[in-house]
Amino acid sequence: MQYQSQAVAKLYFTAAIGLFAGQILFGLILGLQYVVGDFLFPEIPFNVARMVHTNLLIVWILFGFMGAAYYLVPEEAERELHSPGLAVLMFWVFLVAGALTILGYLLVPYSGLAKMTGNDLLPTMGREFLEQPTITKIGIVIVALAFLYNIGMTILSGRKTVVNLVLLIGLAGLAVLFLFAFYNPDNLVEDKLYWWWVVHLWVEGVWELILGSILAFVLIKTTGVDREVIEKWLYVIIAMTLITGIIGTGHHYYWIGTPEYWQWWGSVFSALEPIPFFMMTVFAFNMVNRRRRNHLNKVAVLWALGTAVMAFLGAGVWGFLHTLSPVNYYTHGSQITAAHGHMAFYGAYAMIVLTIISYAMPMMRGRKAANSNRSQVLEMWSFWLMTVSMVFITLFLTGAGILQVYLQRYSDTPLPFMVVQEKIALFYWMREVAGVVFLAGLVLYIASFFVGSKDPEAAVEQAASPTA
Amino acid sequence: MPHSSELPETGLPLAVMAEALYLSNLLLMPGLSFLVLLWLWWYRARAPVLARAHLAQTVSGSLWAGMLLVLCNAVIVLLGGYDGPWTWVVVITYFTFCHSVLVVFGAYGLAKAMAGQCWRYPLLGRPLPEGCPDGSR
Repeated sequence: MQYQSQAVAKLYFTAAIGLFAGQILFGLILGLQYVVGDFLFPEIPFNVARMVHTNLLIVWILFGFMGAAYYLVPEEAERELHSPGLAVLMFWVFLVAGALTILGYLLVPYSGLAKMTGNDLLPTMGREFLEQPTITKIGIVIVALAFLYNIGMTILSGRKTVVNLVLLIGLAGLAVLFLFAFYNPDNLVEDKLYWWWVVHLWVEGVWELILGSILAFVLIKTTGVDREVIEKWLYVIIAMTLITGIIGTGHHYYWIGTPEYWQWWGSVFSALEPIPFFMMTVFAFNMVNRRRRNHLNKVAVLWALGTAVMAFLGAGVWGFLHTLSPVNYYTHGSQITAAHGHMAFYGAYAMIVLTIISYAMPMMRGRKAANSNRSQVLEMWSFWLMTVSMVFITLFLTGAGILQVYLQRYSDTPLPFMVVQEKIALFYWMREVAGVVFLAGLVLYIASFFVGSKDPEAAVEQAASPTA
Repeated sequence: MPHSSELPETGLPLAVMAEALYLSNLLLMPGLSFLVLLWLWWYRARAPVLARAHLAQTVSGSLWAGMLLVLCNAVIVLLGGYDGPWTWVVVITYFTFCHSVLVVFGAYGLAKAMAGQCWRYPLLGRPLPEGCPDGSR
C-alpha cells in the first residue's frame, strides 16, 4: 500500500462482503418462497424478504464503491486521504443506519416502521428499492456528502487523473440523483417518472462511470499498459454511456402514462446502450493482451475480465432483449426483467466491487501484491462457481419469463397470473438449485481470505514478452 | 523514420477488419457483412499471416454462426411447432445464449487482432497457420 490512509477501505470491503452474504441468504429464502409460498411465513413474508434482498444489494454495492474510492483516490491523487477519521466515522454511521433499517424491515410491520420513523412528516417510503425510512434516507445523504467532501478534497489538492475525475463525477452524480428519492408527488405518473431518475440514472448512468473508472484503475495497475491508452478508452466509454443511457431512461416511460414519443426515444437510445458495455469488453481484453507484465494477482485480472464480459451479457444483451417498445409491451415486469436484473447487477456492479477487493485486499492485509497461490486458486473456483451459476440463474429466469409472457400475455386464451406461476415452477426450482451453487461459490470466496493466508506470496512477477 | 510504404506489412488492419466484419454480421448487417468478409477471404493468399489467420477464423466462425443461429432454430421451430409455448422458450433462450457467446468470441478476436496476435475460436475455429503470433507467454 502506497498510502496509510488507504487502509480505511478495508472496513468498507469487509462490510460489503458481509452484506453480500446476507443478500444471497435472503435471495435463497425468496427463491424458495416462489415455490413454497408459506416458507418462513409469517416470520419473513415474501415482500419483506424481497425488500431485504434488494436493499442489501444496493447497500453492499455502495459500501464497495466507497471502499474502492477510499483505496484508489489516494493512489491516483498521490497524497493521503483528506480525513481518514471522517471516513471511519461515516463507515460506522452508514453501517449502523443500514443494520437498523434491515432490522426494522424484519421486526416491525412496514406501516408501523413508517409511523415510527415519522414518514408522515416527509413521506418518501413505499416505493420499490427506495423503501428505506425517510430518516435513513437523510442519513444516506449525510454519509454521501461527507464522503464526497473527503474524496473531493483529496482529489482537488492532489494529482488529477482521468480515473479519479471520472470516479468523482460518477459519485457526485450518485449523490445528486439520490435526492429525487425525497420527491414523492401525488400524481402516480410523475412519481414513477422521477423514481426512475434515481433507479435508472444510477445503474445505467452514473454507476457505469464508477464501474469504468474502477476497471481502468485495476487494468492500469495489473497490465502496465500506458495510462494514456487506458484513459482514452475510458473517455469514449463514458461518453457512450451518457449519450445512450440518459435518453435511454425512456424505455421505462413506455407504459406509465407519458407521451407516446417516448416509445421511439426510449427504443432507439436504449438499443444503443449495449455499445459502451461492448467497448468495455474489447477494452479489457485489449489491455490484457497488450500487457507489459504478468501481475502476480492473477485472480484480480480474472475478475476484471469477467466483469467486462458479464456486464456486456447481463446489462447489454439481456437489456436489449426486452428494451424495444413493441417487445416490452409483452415482457415488462415479467421474469425476463428479473433475468436481466440478476445478470446485469452481478456482472456490472457485484463483480467490479469483487474485482477491486481482489486487487486491494491482499495489500491491505500485508502482502506485497497478491495472495498465495492456494488462496488465489480457491478464489478462482469461487469466481467460476458464482459466475456460471449466475449464467444458469439468468437462463432459467429467461425461460420462465418467455413461458410466462406466452401463457399470460401473448396467448389467445391468456391465463391468470397465479395459474401461470404454477406452470413455471420448474424454472423456479432450477433457479433455486443454481442459487445454492452460487452460495457455495460465495462460501469459497470468503474462505479464500483465510486459506493459504500463511503461505508465501505467489511467484515473482515477470515482464511479459512484447506483443504488438 | 521510414516512409509508411517501407514499413513491414503486418496485416493488422486486415485482421481487425475481418473481426469487425464478423461482429457486424452478427450485430448490424447480417449477410451483407459476411459477403464482404468472404470477398476479403478470397484474396487471403496475398495477405500476411496475421490477417490470414483472422480471416480463416472469422469465415469459419460466421459459417458456424449461420448454422447454429439460423438452421438450428429453424429445425427447433419445425419440430416444436410455431404455436407451441415451449418452442419459443427453447428458441429465444437458445438464440440469445448462443448469439451472445458468438459475439464474445468476436470481441475477444477483435482485441487479439488489435494487439497483433492470432487466436483460434474455441470449437469453431480453423487451426492457426505456422508462425502466427498468439501472444502466449
